[in-house]
Amino acid sequence: MNAFEALPRWWITAVAVIITAILLSPFYWVLLGSFMTPAELFATHIVLIPQHWAVGNWSDAWSRLWPHVRNSLIVSAATAIGTLLITAPTAYSVNWLKPRGRQALSSFMLVTQMLPAIVFVIPLFIVFSKINLVNTLFGLILADMTFTIPFALIMLSAYMKDLPYELVEAALVDGASQIRAFFMVVLPVTLPGLITVGIFSFLIPWGDLIFALSLITEGGLQPLTLELYKAVGQYGIEWSFLLPGSVLTAIPAVLFVICASRFILAGVTRGAIK
Amino acid sequence: MMKLNARTPPNDPPAVRVPDGKPAVADQPRLAGRKRPRFDTMPYLFILPCVLFCLILLLYPVVYSLTLSFRQATVDTFVSGDMPFNGLIQYQAALADPVFWRAVINTVLFAFFSILFQFTIGFLLALLFQVNFPLKNLCLALLLIPWVSPVLTAANIFKGLFNEAGPINQFAHLVGLGPFPWLANPAYAFPATIVANIWIGFPFNFVLLYAGMRSIPVDVYEAARIDGAHYWQRVAKITLPMLKPVSVAVLMLGTIYTVKVFDLVWIMTGGGPANATHLLSTYAYQVGFSLLNFGEAAAIATLMVLLVLLLNLLQLLLRRA
Repeated sequence: MNAFEALPRWWITAVAVIITAILLSPFYWVLLGSFMTPAELFATHIVLIPQHWAVGNWSDAWSRLWPHVRNSLIVSAATAIGTLLITAPTAYSVNWLKPRGRQALSSFMLVTQMLPAIVFVIPLFIVFSKINLVNTLFGLILADMTFTIPFALIMLSAYMKDLPYELVEAALVDGASQIRAFFMVVLPVTLPGLITVGIFSFLIPWGDLIFALSLITEGGLQPLTLELYKAVGQYGIEWSFLLPGSVLTAIPAVLFVICASRFILAGVTRGAIK
Repeated sequence: MMKLNARTPPNDPPAVRVPDGKPAVADQPRLAGRKRPRFDTMPYLFILPCVLFCLILLLYPVVYSLTLSFRQATVDTFVSGDMPFNGLIQYQAALADPVFWRAVINTVLFAFFSILFQFTIGFLLALLFQVNFPLKNLCLALLLIPWVSPVLTAANIFKGLFNEAGPINQFAHLVGLGPFPWLANPAYAFPATIVANIWIGFPFNFVLLYAGMRSIPVDVYEAARIDGAHYWQRVAKITLPMLKPVSVAVLMLGTIYTVKVFDLVWIMTGGGPANATHLLSTYAYQVGFSLLNFGEAAAIATLMVLLVLLLNLLQLLLRRA
């Protein structure tokens, strides 16, 4: 009756693996499906393994998506860097230099995170149209930063709290300026946190649709997500393009999870619980 | 840029003031005696970029959106440039629209059922993962994938799974059912979007509850075990109550995230068929960017914010009770 605790460990492994497999089966479908022809994909019976691996799906999708992958890379990298440049000094200052109004700044960020994207999309679209920032990657980067900055500041603050301030004090005693201490001590010491937050700040714009959809109408500037969104057109859905494209879009996130699940766990729980 | 600054509202918020220099004067004598060098303007210099960003790209749009909801902002007025105030007309129009109310109900149902299942699945998984077993870390990492991968990927996957000739109907066919027109039928499409959202969100609940359970001291369980409490008794009497702060945080964050959902439904159904799957977010977007009535879209956005606040207030009250 003591439930599964008394079972041998590998029994629990078996149960956990089966549950994981069931929960991840949608990925199995998209992964294998990306190598199937539409006829196989939507046959009357279930096709578990493609009979003729349609590698062409992938090469076609890649050649069509590459310019958009490039746009997405530019926007996501710039957003991540910009977010870190703005939030790292702020998180440090708010936690250790105690400027006035820091409480207000933190609460403002919390409230901002609660607001739906539509609250920002409409004004940004109207204002950006007036100042010619619509249909520029720079405009999209600024818009994406309205998502990443509140999130990054909240998460980075948790990391900065754990900073051993004696190290900074030691540097100051040795005659370093506050700015020098920030670059030579604070940033290196909080590097794991900066990397985690930086990667999240990369993935958020990478997956963004709503800002790209409203701000970028020019085909050549559209990011990956938007090009895939358009594959669901009025003439039906181009599955043999959509499935490899969807897998491709998920690759950075999957890589991140496999390489750094421990960091994610730590980051998420810090930001949310503490 | 000029225009942006010129239109920054004068009634500035308490949120982000930069009282530059003032504390420097006050702190100077006190700090002079210490080894620490001048801290005076430094704290403000460090937060300056962030404060500017907040004012221009966060606060200004929010205020703009609010004022826009009281203005007539349609295609004509947008092009001509002057958007006249017209009071509460946008709000009246929104509140009189049956699709708006449909979207309100859908948003609440979508949040309720998503969170109910996400939390339950996350909780059970977290319980299972409290025991150490081989391959645990790998399973844990893999289970995060639905949550970290872009919503677009999940939306396209479920668009395929729920396709009329897709795998779910292929299974149904095996047991002699269907085919069901999942996304084409108003009655089925809405639950289908909820299923997709449960799949996206369960890892978040799982991870937080998992971490929360780990922080419960082991000796509490040991004591209960020695006293002869069964596994499920221990879960009900120790895990659940001691997990309460984390559960509350998870539920509140879950509510906030779920009410914000846009991409998933926009990609899977676009709010259709027959407006059956509209959430407030997709409906506001449609009014704004398809019907080009930005004023009314802003009014819906404001009402949406009120709904978020209301739902959170409700949860606070429930927690007290």
